[in-house]
Amino acid sequence: MSAEAELPQIEDAAEPASLGRWLATVDRAMGAASDRLNSILVKETRQALKSRQFTITFGLLLFCGWIWSILGVAIIGPDIWHGAHGHDMFFGYYVILAFPLLVIVPFGAFRSLAGEQEDRTYELMSITTLNPRQIVRGKLGSAALQMLVYLSAISPCLAFTYMLRGIDVMTILFIIFYLALASMALSVIALLAGTLTSEKHWQVVLSVLLIAGLLYAFGMSFFFAAVTLSELHSVFRDAEFWQANAAVVTGYVSYFMLLFYAAASQLTFSSDNRSTRLRVVMVAQYVAFVGWMGWVWIWPGRGDVDVAWVFLMFVAFHWYAMGALMTGESPELSPRVKRQLPQSFLGRVFLTWFNPGPGTGYLLAVSSLLSALVLVTIAVAAADWFSLSFFTRWSARGTESILPFGVLALSYVTFYLGIGLLLIRFLRRFAYVGILLAALLHVLLVLLGFGIPLIIHLMSPSLRGTDYNLLHLTDPFWSLVYLVDRPGLPAYAPVLLTVVPLAALLVFVLNLPGVVREVRHVRIARPKRVADEDAALAAAKAPPPQPVRTSPWD
Amino acid sequence: MADSHPMIELRHLHRFFGDTRAVDDVSFAVQPGQVFGYIGPNGAGKTTSMRILATLDLPTAGDATVDGFSVVNDPDRVRRRLGFMPDYFGTYPNVNVREYLDFFARAYQMHGDKRADAVERVMDFTGLDVLADKPTDGLSKGMKQRLCLGRALIHDPGVLVLDEPAAGLDPRARIEVRRMIRTLADDGKAILISSHILTELAEICDVVGIIERGKLLAMGSVEEIQQIGQQKAATGDGATNAVNVRVLGGATALGQWLAEQAGVSQLNVNGEAATFLHAGDLEAEADLLRSMIEAGFRVVAFGSKQQTLEDVFMQVTEGLVQ
Repeated sequence: MSAEAELPQIEDAAEPASLGRWLATVDRAMGAASDRLNSILVKETRQALKSRQFTITFGLLLFCGWIWSILGVAIIGPDIWHGAHGHDMFFGYYVILAFPLLVIVPFGAFRSLAGEQEDRTYELMSITTLNPRQIVRGKLGSAALQMLVYLSAISPCLAFTYMLRGIDVMTILFIIFYLALASMALSVIALLAGTLTSEKHWQVVLSVLLIAGLLYAFGMSFFFAAVTLSELHSVFRDAEFWQANAAVVTGYVSYFMLLFYAAASQLTFSSDNRSTRLRVVMVAQYVAFVGWMGWVWIWPGRGDVDVAWVFLMFVAFHWYAMGALMTGESPELSPRVKRQLPQSFLGRVFLTWFNPGPGTGYLLAVSSLLSALVLVTIAVAAADWFSLSFFTRWSARGTESILPFGVLALSYVTFYLGIGLLLIRFLRRFAYVGILLAALLHVLLVLLGFGIPLIIHLMSPSLRGTDYNLLHLTDPFWSLVYLVDRPGLPAYAPVLLTVVPLAALLVFVLNLPGVVREVRHVRIARPKRVADEDAALAAAKAPPPQPVRTSPWD
Repeated sequence: MADSHPMIELRHLHRFFGDTRAVDDVSFAVQPGQVFGYIGPNGAGKTTSMRILATLDLPTAGDATVDGFSVVNDPDRVRRRLGFMPDYFGTYPNVNVREYLDFFARAYQMHGDKRADAVERVMDFTGLDVLADKPTDGLSKGMKQRLCLGRALIHDPGVLVLDEPAAGLDPRARIEVRRMIRTLADDGKAILISSHILTELAEICDVVGIIERGKLLAMGSVEEIQQIGQQKAATGDGATNAVNVRVLGGATALGQWLAEQAGVSQLNVNGEAATFLHAGDLEAEADLLRSMIEAGFRVVAFGSKQQTLEDVFMQVTEGLVQ
């Protein structure tokens, strides 16, 4: 063979080699990028790509999209050329997309975690160096990825609806944005449900409840989409609309974080701190709410007293619910948790309430609610004393009853949480009482306080048909409504405002010894083995020592 | 000078489930390079102790340490040092062998070439390299056992806790698993292994602990444990020894003679040999031999069978479950 004939062969051989090198480089780059990804996300993506469930759902989504495209166009008929039918077509695509996003993806997240517990692969995963937050993040990331895949499959159809006129880009984006948020929120709820039990029969019960809830959310989302499509497009230019949306998103993020950390804390090793992160999120959530309500009161509300009502009612409910969960925690701190306790004077004063424990949780809930009352008092003072022209004057009804309302709400929360905590402490002498059971006890106590007087009231011929009376002293709902239901303070107000706060104070004092025991916990030193390893790790991470200049000529 | 500590240490470990004492004051230590065999009937507390060591459960009282770190207070540090192979497989659907090991390597925060090397090393060691692309749920039981051992080894831990690693395997696979365990121990790893196949443990274990109803009944090297058995037999704690006798001219008459002797049971005569169980200590055994010779039997062999780990296990435990 001649030398000329060989040359092209060499070039041909070089080309695949360079392609191979290029592919190897891409492979290495992808590998390096995947190193930064959550390992569960990588594993679940690999599994999903091979799973029948994903293939069927994805195929059905595409199929339904095509069918609706053909069917919708056929129904609209020739009017499609000059009419504005994007809006109708969009609703069909929305239903097709909402089902996988609001039902399949969240339920898949639940099954993913529940299945790991059933197959006991969760145990194998939990003894790696993955922490519970990484596990929940991985599962959520997998849900988000599936959501994006479904979204990308239907996106050409959504673009098609815009071309049909009758719907603007902002409306499409707005609806899809909230649909994605709802999908993620339901996924984190489903993940939390997946952590609640590893018992098979309870998982079946949870599955049924979850499917019912997801289908309900799916149905409700039609209402949201229909309202948005028919009415909201006109308010997109309104600044207050976007401010309200920012507030909704803030609330969403805070509750999302709360649920995320709750799921992670459920997976956290028993001797570890399961509470502090959740408490930080609760307080951040409260601060965000205070910020938004303050802004609403000052700017669009212009000192409207209704803002203060909404604020106090929400905060009372929020801290009661959070308190019901926190008071179910164990009073014992493991040596591991004690190693991380705040040590300085200021740290102990301000951060002790973030330590795990039912007593500190009780005090955090009560003091936070008290701070809300103080804020409302300052607002009343600001409006009354300085007579700020900027604010509308508080109505007589508002100034007279807003503070008594706040005091009564605080007293009820203090009383019921405190009674619940005493009961939990008592029951723990005989049996194990977990967080869920503790929360149920709290709910039961309030139901008894509300239900027993109501039943007596309804069954007594002399009381039936009459208005509020002191029999309902234990009923927080009717008592609070009664206090603010009319201008000026009602007849039983002095009794209510004396007896309930005194009872709350008594219960609070009865709980103090338990709180003090928890406050007395102090930081303990790390074991020598741990300190030695930490020192070795720190030394390994420290930069190499700089050469010492010994000569001016160096 | 750095503190020396065993790689595995159980200190007065207790684990109660209601009234059931699953683990009751168990203490032992395993040094680097040592294989500790954990023997006990079903429900004895082996798996519970191992789960506590693997940071899957908490003790009711006492503590366990791995490389000096408490499983209660420093589970994260323990997990970096410990590989656990439970008595179940824990495989994922739609994942092949390489992806399965890669996932666990990622879960141990291994990156890039280090991760790829670890996966290759483990597949090579366990002989799974030829099945790298096979789905994990389609593997045979033996291969799944290898995969589980591979998963436990992926981060090259200094401590291995293996719960029934050879259960349900065919003889060849058992021998291979045994070889792998010995290699790992020779590599300096401290290994805690439980098994029902006691002969197997006798061959690979340096130290053996017998547990029943949560209590550690005996502990020591295989020889020490066998001595304990011999001593028990010698002190006549109701123990019976298997005796083999060979006489010239056929053992039929000997069989008839033995049947009349006290303490002899389960007599079996075959040609010139007779085997039977004899209740009593070594003195009683010697008396029996003397009587046999005086009765005119031409005894050419007389011996108690060597105590095996199985015999000792049967003597030490009572076969009670909780």
